Amino acid sequence: MGRIGGTGMTDLLFYALSALAIWSGWRVFRVDSMIRATFALMVSFTSVGGIAVLMAADYIGVATVFMMAVEMMVMGLFMVMFMMNPAGLNPMQMVHQYKFSIAAGVLGFVGLATAVLLTNFPDNPLPENRDTLRDLGIELLGGSMLIFETAGVTLLATMVGAVALSSRRGRFGDSDAGAAPPGLHPGGEPAGRKVEKGGGHGGHGGHGGHKMNMEKTKQDSSDDPHKGHGNMSETEA
Amino acid sequence: MMTFALAFAILILVLALGIWFAAVLDGVFSRQLSGHGTAGLLAPFHASAVYLTQQRLRTEAPDQLNWFLSIAGYLSVAAIGLAVVPFGPDLAVIGLDTSVVFWGACESLIVVLVFLHGWSPNAPLSLIGAYRYVAIGLPIMLPSMFVLIAVAIPAQSLDLRDIVASQESVWNVIRQPLGLPLFLLLGLSLTLRGPFDYADSDDLAGGTSAEDSGANRAGWQVARLAMLVGFSAVASTAFLGGYLGPVLPGFVWVIIKTLVVMAIVIGLSHLLVRLPVARMLGLIWKILLPISFLDLLWAGLVALA
Repeated sequence: MGRIGGTGMTDLLFYALSALAIWSGWRVFRVDSMIRATFALMVSFTSVGGIAVLMAADYIGVATVFMMAVEMMVMGLFMVMFMMNPAGLNPMQMVHQYKFSIAAGVLGFVGLATAVLLTNFPDNPLPENRDTLRDLGIELLGGSMLIFETAGVTLLATMVGAVALSSRRGRFGDSDAGAAPPGLHPGGEPAGRKVEKGGGHGGHGGHGGHKMNMEKTKQDSSDDPHKGHGNMSETEA
Repeated sequence: MMTFALAFAILILVLALGIWFAAVLDGVFSRQLSGHGTAGLLAPFHASAVYLTQQRLRTEAPDQLNWFLSIAGYLSVAAIGLAVVPFGPDLAVIGLDTSVVFWGACESLIVVLVFLHGWSPNAPLSLIGAYRYVAIGLPIMLPSMFVLIAVAIPAQSLDLRDIVASQESVWNVIRQPLGLPLFLLLGLSLTLRGPFDYADSDDLAGGTSAEDSGANRAGWQVARLAMLVGFSAVASTAFLGGYLGPVLPGFVWVIIKTLVVMAIVIGLSHLLVRLPVARMLGLIWKILLPISFLDLLWAGLVALA
């Protein structure tokens, strides 16, 4: 990476990025929020990506940053959604299973450190303007570049199609059929107040139109006890 | 070293000029269309003077570090976007072989930074803006990636310098007609504007910036305008031939084209209306993404022909 400057500059950047990677990696386990932990991890990966750029592996480094930013964003969001911690804002304990994780961490560190020390790294500097990107592409994909590109787009289209098809039918009926609250007991009637059919005046404070529509819903459930959820939009119409 | 200094000087010039021009144009558009706001060459300076002299308010238990970092980061990413743009045949501040992927990395970091900007104040409206923005900001990046890959195909390179050189005979906006419109939509999303302003919109009383005050607010608004400059420079480089042009020196052409793209984006942001999130998601996944596939296919077929 001759463009960055002399060796001194590159070395300095390397140490700075390494320190940032280690510090932010440590922060992942010290912070008390999933969002903070997620993005501390992202900073750690980003620093490693920067180190890869310094080592003339431009594409791998930049792609690491690119992938990790998207990945961590999605991960943080989903963690908050599944953990029922409102918006990830409540402080929470981020570490558990201390003994197991300490053992796993020590083992992993020793193993990786041994691997680093025992590996014979090649010592043949690349020429200044070597196109490492082309080398990498040929090495990874060879002659099947077109196949890979086509397969990638096809897979993405398939995923979008699968989600579009499967997400229409939801827990509470078709997504385009209008919303109905869940039942009070499994398979039961949707909870909440129902508006009488053909009540006409539609608004609140009208002619007392908000009577519980018991007869209608009873008929519905006697027809088929399992279809209560999906039908609510009809009753409400 | 000389070329680097020259490129850096041009970058600062473009950034400063662009931010001011964007702010003025924004004022003119909103004055003309809605009658609100102040239009004038000095209006941006007055607005920033007001922000800078205002007192800074705190929310309850905010994440001060991330709040500050999100504003600084958004501004830096905008500057980085401008830095990969070549102002002449070999006149880019960051000359990287993978500058298109580098810009892609900036795009994905923008989503993270806008999210953090809404999350850090620990306040409801800004948090809603943050989550809503992620839902739209992530999927709209997919079409932009395909559009950028399509631009790289005729150049046979991921380097913006080569991509400009490949437009010597015909600009990409003509060679790949679907590319620029899709990329402009991404620009609206990256700069939190108009139909893609799910983060900082009026219906959330300012969204992620609802709790910004004083210098922070000034910083965030400047960063948004800087992002507009950075995006417009990348768009004009990838689709409008960048520094290519007769008579005038290359960097002047970059500035002219950047200002044109900027004016189009600002115009779109004032003229188009924002859809509900669910409908916008349907639009992105079911219509814009297939169109970007078509764009890629078109680019591939043209390259093979």
